[in-house]
Amino acid sequence: MSADQRRDAVAMPGFSANTRKTGSSGWLERPPLDHIVMGVAILAFLIAFPFFNPGYRFLSLAITTGFTAIALYGLALQFGQAGIMSVGHAGIMGIGGYTAAILANQLGIGFWLALPASILLSALAAGLVGLPSLRVGGQHYIIITFCFCALLVIALTNGGDFTGAATGLDVGPIAGPFGINLAKLRNMYYLVMLALVVSLVLTYVIVHSPYGRTLWAIRENEPLARAVGINTNFHKIGVFALSGAFAGAAGILQTYYLRHISPPLYGAFPSLYLALMVMLGGARPLYGPLLGAIIVTFLPEVGGLDPIDSRIAYGVGLLLVILLLPAGVSGGLLGLYRSMIGRQRRAEKG
Amino acid sequence: MDIFLQQLINSLSVASVTILIGMGITLIFGLAGIVNFAHGEFLMVGGMVTWLLVMAGVNFFIAMFGAMAAVGVLGYVAERTLFRFTLNRPMNGFIMSIGLSVILQNVVIKALNEVQKSIPDPIAKVWAIGGVDIIAMRAIVVAITVVVVAITYFGITRSRYGVALRASVSDQDTAALMGIPVRRYVTGVFIYGSVLAGLGGALMIALFPITPFTGSVVIIRGFAVSLIGGLGNVGGAVVGGLVLGLVDALSAQYGYPQWTDAYSLVVMIVILILRPQGLLGGTLGPRAT
Amino acid sequence: MVAARLEITGLRKKFGGVVALAGVDVSIDGSGITGIIGPNGSGKTTLFNVVTGAHKPTAGRVTWNGQDITALPAYRIARLGLVRTFQQAMSYPGLSVRDNVSIGFEHGRSIGSTDRRWRSPDEVLAFVGLDGLGEEVAGSMSFGNLRRLGIAVALAADPVLLLLDEPAAGLSDSEAGDLRELILRFPKMGIGVCLIDHDMALMGAVCDHFIVLNFGTKIAEGAPAEVLQNAKVLEVYLGVDL
Repeated sequence: MSADQRRDAVAMPGFSANTRKTGSSGWLERPPLDHIVMGVAILAFLIAFPFFNPGYRFLSLAITTGFTAIALYGLALQFGQAGIMSVGHAGIMGIGGYTAAILANQLGIGFWLALPASILLSALAAGLVGLPSLRVGGQHYIIITFCFCALLVIALTNGGDFTGAATGLDVGPIAGPFGINLAKLRNMYYLVMLALVVSLVLTYVIVHSPYGRTLWAIRENEPLARAVGINTNFHKIGVFALSGAFAGAAGILQTYYLRHISPPLYGAFPSLYLALMVMLGGARPLYGPLLGAIIVTFLPEVGGLDPIDSRIAYGVGLLLVILLLPAGVSGGLLGLYRSMIGRQRRAEKG
Repeated sequence: MDIFLQQLINSLSVASVTILIGMGITLIFGLAGIVNFAHGEFLMVGGMVTWLLVMAGVNFFIAMFGAMAAVGVLGYVAERTLFRFTLNRPMNGFIMSIGLSVILQNVVIKALNEVQKSIPDPIAKVWAIGGVDIIAMRAIVVAITVVVVAITYFGITRSRYGVALRASVSDQDTAALMGIPVRRYVTGVFIYGSVLAGLGGALMIALFPITPFTGSVVIIRGFAVSLIGGLGNVGGAVVGGLVLGLVDALSAQYGYPQWTDAYSLVVMIVILILRPQGLLGGTLGPRAT
Repeated sequence: MVAARLEITGLRKKFGGVVALAGVDVSIDGSGITGIIGPNGSGKTTLFNVVTGAHKPTAGRVTWNGQDITALPAYRIARLGLVRTFQQAMSYPGLSVRDNVSIGFEHGRSIGSTDRRWRSPDEVLAFVGLDGLGEEVAGSMSFGNLRRLGIAVALAADPVLLLLDEPAAGLSDSEAGDLRELILRFPKMGIGVCLIDHDMALMGAVCDHFIVLNFGTKIAEGAPAEVLQNAKVLEVYLGVDL
């Protein structure tokens, strides 16, 4: 079974090329130039975006894209690095979101103090939900994560006043430091984007550190990893917790952006859509999750599709990605780019 | 106790629908290695087809066969156009089935609407047996399921095709070498599992109203049933369905009914962790040895 | 310091109804080169699997330097200096050769200690003769080099006793010759070797002690020349296999 799972993992969509490129044996090699150029371009765009007068609608969509992408970076870490997919990620976001909302409603604790609590509890929950993966593999485990979401929704709905039952909970605006008014959409946008950039950088650091290499080794050959002294179970649960931390941050940002949360936000279907976005964008390429979030959030608006049409479009997109572009959209584009560069170089040589 | 008995029969009729869908999931997993996430949507489509036919004036029992045929065709098309390409990568097939379930659900919403659909009771009778009131349709649902389970079980254990089928499940390559057309069996099982989902959908709408979202509720119960019994094991699906039915009946009677779904999920997760192969022992998919 | 020793007592392993190890008692010198021979299915690889914690034994005890390691997880056993190689899945195919070795280097026994055997992954690569190939992707290498890499990954984890599972399988004669030279260097560096292989020329040339398994039990042991004279061994092993 394990050999098959490994082959599966390698062949799963959302993975780009099946190799990990590192140069030096140093702790963290310098990012390649195209990564830096791309990063600076994205950063410049993110800062400039509100100045193009995007209007309330587009700014809201950008914020949604932002916190969704943060959650996706967590999922991508778990899926792309450890090879374990989950359709329970929205549930983990929900742990973060509800932690913040309950702290606000019960104890009057605001965003900044709730932030570490949300991240921590989500990480803890994700680690716990990840435990069965040590015993149960592949599709069975995905079903467990799916059930976790269903259970969470039942628990939240039956939580009485504590969780606000089916109606959910409200929170106030974020108390901004230095008198910054975070109820203002543009300022909320910058806060979410700051968190997004932090997530992006963190992902890069994790993937390219020796820790990332260790995770990679576990995914490629778990028995060998154990045989040279890697505590594989610990590291796997570690990845789940890390992934959960991202989801927790995304969850609290979502809560304070929407100012009202209720159980259906965190059910099985939102989780499915998160999984779908990672597959669409690609889990391995650094900008894959961001691209996935952009596609899914902006497609209805740009394509003029109503929510039903766009969901059908995502589904069809997912089928096409798996059948035609097993590396995800960004992985596919990357492959195209590389083959073009390669052809150009060959042409120059010859 | 009388109330409990009534509750048990009610639960059994619900369990029947879950057993039908669980059997489909289990059969498809056994041969194709894919846990078909869209199977709940297959059932929902079956229910919707039944509704359309009954609304058009067709007798329920004829509409039921219509639903089975329609969903059978759906399964055939899905296998031919999608899942046959992922037979050697079950994980991809599983993820594709998630995409398919999203598509089916939203296509149905678009074609009809989100409002719940129901049909008049096909047989509106109540039998009073020894002080227990039994709703006739529920008993008929249980009876139909018993017949289908028996046919499936004997088909698999006794018939020539069943033996070849089990050979293919345990070792596809060897079965292929012995002249068994494994690919055709995969298609066949996909169709059969889909037909069962269509039947489940028809029986379900005979008991309760359904909505386009019914599939996502049913699939969780289908997973629970097939995983509790052991994926790939038809008898296991029946046992799983009965366990779930009992849990439902007990919780409706003695527990907190609003947590009913949670109980079955917890039972399933606990069983999966303690016995990943399920109560009766399933296969780990066609490729695992 | 007393020489390291691996003591195996009454080790049993059943897979369902199949008895792979039927009560094995052996004591392996952690400084020499011990060869384990026996026909296919005699339990050699299972012995490795159980000793290194990949499988839990049905019964019996394994101690290493006097410490009971029977119930330890595989990674803890590896960190105690018992490191094995694999017959088939020898490397992390998607990683570069250097990253492969780095993994062992970063997680092995002497991590954090000052007297590490190797100062860098490249040193290990040079030792096994893969210098200059650090940038290659492991999965694209030739089979012979993959075998070397498998040994390099294990070496980088700084073993006290290296358990090699059929390292010569699939190698050409000249590659097998290189392997022999490599194995003979280990005891001089203070690394003991426990070796499974069917290549009797190799086994005879490097081993100072033979243990013969058949149907999951030890049927003979001793100096190679002696063991190969043993009538029981000739009958069950050589008689069948040659």
